[in-house]
Amino acid sequence: MPRLLFEIGTEELPSWYVGPAAAALAEGLTARLADLRLSHGTVRSFATPRRLAALVDDVAARSDRRVEVRRGPAATAAFDAAGKPTRAAAGFAASAGVRPDELEIDETPKGRYVVARREVGGEDAAALLPDTLAALVVGLPAPRKMRWGEIETPFVRPISWLTALWDDRVLPVAVAGLEAGRTTRGHRFLHPDPVELDDAGQYASALLAADVVADRDARAEAVRAAVAQAAASQGGEADAAEALIEEVVDLVERPFALLGSIDEAFLELPDEVLTTVMIHHQRFVPVRDAEGRLLPRFVAVANHRVPDEALVRGGYERVLAGRLHDARFFWQADRRKSLAQHAWSLSGIGFQKELGSMADKVTRVGVGAFAVARLLGISDAEQHTLERALPLFRADLASEMVGELPELEGTMARAYAAADGLPAEVAVALEDGVLPRGPHDALPATRVGAVLAVSDRLDKLLGFFALGKRPTGSADPFALRRDAVAVARVLSAQGWRVALEDLVTAVAVGYQGSSVAVDAGIIDDVVTFVWDRVAALLAEEGLDTPTVRAAVLGSRAVVGAARRGHLLQALAALPAFAEMLTLYKRAANLAERAPRGVEADPKLFAEAIEAELFAALPPARVGVERLLEAMHVQLPAWDLGTGPTGGIAGLDALAAEVLQLKAPLDAFLDGVMVMVEDEAVRANRLALLAAVAATPRELGALEHLSG
Amino acid sequence: MTFQDMIMTLDRFWASRGCVIAQPHDTEVGAGTFYPTTFLRALGPQPWRVAGVAPSRRPADGRYGDNPYRFQYYYQYQVVLKPSPADVQEQYLASLRELGIDPLAHDLRFVEDNWESPTLGAWGLGWEVWLDGMEITQFTYFQQVGGQDCRPVSVELTYGLERLAMYLQGVEHAFDVVVTPGTTIGDLRRDFERQHCRYNFELADTELQRLLFDRFEAEALRLLDADVVHPAYEFVLRSSHAFNLLDARGVLSHTERQAYVQRVRKLAEASARGYLRLIEPAEPTGSDEPAGPAGAVA
Repeated sequence: MPRLLFEIGTEELPSWYVGPAAAALAEGLTARLADLRLSHGTVRSFATPRRLAALVDDVAARSDRRVEVRRGPAATAAFDAAGKPTRAAAGFAASAGVRPDELEIDETPKGRYVVARREVGGEDAAALLPDTLAALVVGLPAPRKMRWGEIETPFVRPISWLTALWDDRVLPVAVAGLEAGRTTRGHRFLHPDPVELDDAGQYASALLAADVVADRDARAEAVRAAVAQAAASQGGEADAAEALIEEVVDLVERPFALLGSIDEAFLELPDEVLTTVMIHHQRFVPVRDAEGRLLPRFVAVANHRVPDEALVRGGYERVLAGRLHDARFFWQADRRKSLAQHAWSLSGIGFQKELGSMADKVTRVGVGAFAVARLLGISDAEQHTLERALPLFRADLASEMVGELPELEGTMARAYAAADGLPAEVAVALEDGVLPRGPHDALPATRVGAVLAVSDRLDKLLGFFALGKRPTGSADPFALRRDAVAVARVLSAQGWRVALEDLVTAVAVGYQGSSVAVDAGIIDDVVTFVWDRVAALLAEEGLDTPTVRAAVLGSRAVVGAARRGHLLQALAALPAFAEMLTLYKRAANLAERAPRGVEADPKLFAEAIEAELFAALPPARVGVERLLEAMHVQLPAWDLGTGPTGGIAGLDALAAEVLQLKAPLDAFLDGVMVMVEDEAVRANRLALLAAVAATPRELGALEHLSG
Repeated sequence: MTFQDMIMTLDRFWASRGCVIAQPHDTEVGAGTFYPTTFLRALGPQPWRVAGVAPSRRPADGRYGDNPYRFQYYYQYQVVLKPSPADVQEQYLASLRELGIDPLAHDLRFVEDNWESPTLGAWGLGWEVWLDGMEITQFTYFQQVGGQDCRPVSVELTYGLERLAMYLQGVEHAFDVVVTPGTTIGDLRRDFERQHCRYNFELADTELQRLLFDRFEAEALRLLDADVVHPAYEFVLRSSHAFNLLDARGVLSHTERQAYVQRVRKLAEASARGYLRLIEPAEPTGSDEPAGPAGAVA
């Protein structure tokens, strides 16, 4: 069966787009082949900075043949007394593409109807595909597209050529002012001549011969190996984050690693400054020794093997030295002032018009942070650290270095604080306080840092919510969801068993006396907003929706909800728990009618079953407490979204204590009439049920669980 | 290759490809993009090709000549091709070969860069071109200029002349670049740079610049009302430079800075609209020839 090749040749794509775009092209093509009812074999995808391609094996030459049945008017309306088709029938036949005499009558449960049967499909794939492939180009998703020349078909970068082959035949795809051919292009510099393909199957090998590694995975492997080898040649190890490798892979078509050196004098700069300049500005890979210390080396990945390595290496080294020279200039300029002096400049840096300057913000955060610290009951030592860190918090925003390298915020505060001779715990708290800077960034390691981080984010959420600038739909111009995610992650990882609304209320104290009105409604909205992120993160951990709901509504503290989610998931695996759930729901339903403030009174029990259920309550309560305690002890706090590292040992035994309620409850619900005439007895029985239901409800909002 | 040989080489190269070689404009600009031969000519349907040195001033970028790469006054080599040709990358690479840069011998890369000028109400997509890790050119397909969609799309190539020269001559500081045997950029600009840095950072009378901004802005608006876009646009450039000086002096708060940016942007957008109104009668002729000789450029 034929093989289909489609390649979109482009001017250099943004590196972050190459991988996702190749996947989108393969998925889009697969979906469209399904729409066209063209069966096919494997879909392989290829991508480099200059091309996105898909190669599909064994595509059916014709679309599936099948009988299409359309139902028309009722039989009685379709034929007149003489058995001739009525106008309605003729119209239906025409619309269904059959002759009136081809109409048939089907018996259906609703009566006799006219139907048209028609064999469809069998279309020539080669005729269907060109329009489909053109539409794929137009519809390929991208966050931001552009126009070029006089072409009005936006794409991420200009399209230079199209290659579309059906085995050895060119498919006449026409889009963006181009016509597809059998010609692709090799490496921009190593192989400038066009590459003719006789057949779709030659694609990868022909490109390899033209110095292009079109298979993205193969290219990534080559980059990793080359970088590791270059580092090893210096007895070092490449400090290559996956994100950097992924980026480098999509900046080259034929990777070639080169080792370069740095003047050792630059090693006086903090590690992060060196690595940030290398990675973010030059896409160079830092090299470390066995102890993790930076070596004065780096690995660069070029787009091809250059004839004179010294020439190119010299260029790399000079550029990097220039940048490090700049960084050292900033370091020295910044060091002329203490961090405390930099903090004075925060009043000149705007936070948000209505919310004042960064100095105003830090003052507010300070008030909030002390309130949060009181809630947590932090130690005197921690309190002392917090007091020393607060006047310096975010002061590095005023430094030249952070102005130039914004990704170093926090890191520079730590470095400058340390250079000023401040205690290490103060320096660390200053960096911790701005963590996490992104969805995959590290979390604050210290409690003081976490207090700062949470207070800072909640202050922002409260302020922006109060200004009515909350996210709508997918639009989140102030990245408030990112802040809420940060709060959720820090609270979970810190394991603070404090109600979220109490924390938000504490931070809101910072707004007292300000012109921005942060009222109970705003606090509620921020609390809900954070809970939504908690729910989303728990769902990312693989919990199903009912479990997430039961968890989030079952605790007021983020860590409590997170742990309950995983406890409930584990309990759901026990058959006895499912049975118990059914009983719980019946009891909870009935208990809703229980009068408030009434407690079950054994003296009013008329039947032995009531007394048995009552007697089962205290041990069950103890069981619930033990279960929750085991949960808190055995599930160490974790970074929300990544899942706990362990499970709860001895869950069966622990659950058994709670499940002791099941038998007497079952007997009660079966054998005791609750809604009796006698008001006192009825109220007493309802109160008993309420007490019974409330016991396992401590484990989570069980009413949301299915079972 | 000397600095002035580089310029002459690029002039000849782009002239041979149908570009008007424009001489530097005589109002301070922050970048070649502000040149009327770029900003205004990128608007409307008429084809246009221009190239030439665009001396630029960015007061805040000055480092008193201490930093080998950063200056408050420097040369860009600015090329605008409208509509953007399909082979513009190849043309650009050919220009590098003319300068003696063989892409096979180097690591030459087109790295994503999305350009935006908040003061000009302009944005475009393209790349930084990296030569062995050093950015030597900005390569931008204009999508909007002065808040107006660009149809057709122009491509703008901005060569960083000093850093290219540093690379080609193997010197460590732009001041060491040889302009012509016996004369370096430092000979021509060292004092100029240091003194202007003092002016920009220490001496500029900020009250005067605030006043000038207001007056230039008012003048631009008055001239736009009178439908004289070219003089009006020069006052937009002057107000933009006054803002740049205030910014360099560090006297603008965040909010104030934003407000100034918006004011310049409004002027730039009004100029763009005014320009389009004026050229409207001259609908496209269907000719592929680059439009307009000298008269409009000077």
